[in-house]
Amino acid sequence: MLTAPVVLLVDNPPLYAHGVGLAVVLIDLVRVLVGLVALLGAVVMMIWFERKVISDMQNRIGPNRAGPFGLLQTLADGTKLLFKEDLLPGQADRTVFRLAPFLSLMPAFLIFTVVPIGGVVTIAHHVVDLQVADPPIGILLVLALGSVAVYGTMLAGWSSGSKYPLLGSVRASAQMISYEAVLGITVVTVVLEAHGLTTRQIVASQAAHFWDWNALRLGVVPFVLFFIASTAELNRPPFDLAEGESELGGGFHTEYSSFRFATFFMAEFMNTITMSAIVVTLFFGGPDGPGFHVVRWLWPILWFLGKTLVFLYVQVWIRAALPRLRYDQLMDLGWKVMIPLSLAWLLVVAGVHQSTTWGLGVLGGCVVAGGLLFQSVRVARRRREGLASGGSSFEPVPAAPGLRAAATPGKVED
Amino acid sequence: MGSLDSYLPILFLFVLAFGFTAFSLAASKLLAPQRPTAAKEAPYECGIVPSHEPPQRFPVRFYLVSMIFVIFDIEVIFLFPWAVVYGQLGRFGLVEIIVFAAAVFFSFVYLVSNGALDWGPLKRVQRVVRPIGGRTSQSTVRRIGSSSDEAA
Repeated sequence: MLTAPVVLLVDNPPLYAHGVGLAVVLIDLVRVLVGLVALLGAVVMMIWFERKVISDMQNRIGPNRAGPFGLLQTLADGTKLLFKEDLLPGQADRTVFRLAPFLSLMPAFLIFTVVPIGGVVTIAHHVVDLQVADPPIGILLVLALGSVAVYGTMLAGWSSGSKYPLLGSVRASAQMISYEAVLGITVVTVVLEAHGLTTRQIVASQAAHFWDWNALRLGVVPFVLFFIASTAELNRPPFDLAEGESELGGGFHTEYSSFRFATFFMAEFMNTITMSAIVVTLFFGGPDGPGFHVVRWLWPILWFLGKTLVFLYVQVWIRAALPRLRYDQLMDLGWKVMIPLSLAWLLVVAGVHQSTTWGLGVLGGCVVAGGLLFQSVRVARRRREGLASGGSSFEPVPAAPGLRAAATPGKVED
Repeated sequence: MGSLDSYLPILFLFVLAFGFTAFSLAASKLLAPQRPTAAKEAPYECGIVPSHEPPQRFPVRFYLVSMIFVIFDIEVIFLFPWAVVYGQLGRFGLVEIIVFAAAVFFSFVYLVSNGALDWGPLKRVQRVVRPIGGRTSQSTVRRIGSSSDEAA
């Protein structure tokens, strides 16, 4: 075997150890430019890939006119949108309406910076890690910028001065913040294992064997929760209630046209790519994998691209396979299943870190807590049934004092 | 570590991405026609002339969700530093976080049992009224010539 260990982490951030000189700035500029161009190219390819795969799954041909296999279809669409009239709705809040596409697209660009694409290489005596930036807060940047992206969606709908965008944006922001908590807690589970926040540390902590990948080492649950939550965070099917074209026209971007409309779609696809890359980083070892002695820097990149492509395919597959959820199902899944489960799993993982006995003890506690939660869901349902079947004939639930007084606001529902 | 140097590429990318977006939008402004009419500027209503102002209010439930989200987000914020140093904290860290999680969880259970996270309209319970003898071929099938108003 010609396998060679892949260097994923070196002590002390190497590039900035001797201050910022001209060479460092140049290297950074090159990294940023490569990252930007790669990301834009990836978006163009991803839109083509999604349309092509979905049309295959639906027994259609899909785009096949512009370029070989329709590869240039996205560019053609983009050019078309560039030449379309850019309308500003009469009732729109003009400043916010113009600002919202930026708020949507900028975070999409910036989140990608922390994704490790390859191993560590040496360029002109400077040790460089192959990712655009490696700030100490690392994975927190992803969560923070993800929250900023909610503003883009929310303000786009709010500023349109039209009812469908408003409803779409309110739905979208409630959905995105609901699933953000799940994202946060599952990321904490990963950080528990990595003892650090930077994506380099997270990747390096999974480097030894493939059974050290977090998806397997943490039990499969955090990975599944993170993946579902990231799909919801992206507003992708089956969680695309923000768009809901059958009921909301087009959701938060109904009033947008021309290239402003294109920015939202670019942001969506860019986020899809980035989230797949982050799933790979957090749970599948990022660029980790067996390498060979020839062109050693290339293998990690190929591993990273391959793994990311798998998840991009899965995203498209899910979109083609699953119907859209109803809003109450979406909220119930997020709040009553995924958040408690992710929290319980985090505690169990923390317990197992101490000893098996602690782990089992915490697991028992979590099962009891789960029973409690189940009971509280039943209490809420019984109250709703009481309200529905006659309002005042509300049956007080035993062993739950104080619930009755709080039940009154439930009546003023739509 | 700790210095802001490693944020330099993010700043670069921010400037570049902003430039890209601004340039594209400016190009679109130059290349695209600008012929706004009242119909184009009206709120989208599938072609129907809008009769109502867009609603300024939406269900209070959404505010509730955002309030509950704040609770969980703060919990997550506290969890991150804990997770980074958990290896050194040992058993103390575990007990501490269990107490913390339990405190948040009990308030969450209270919210759930109060119906703070229930969505959708109340379902009216409808009783199905069944005829007292049940449905038979005698009661449901109308035979020709059996009723008086039918012409013979």
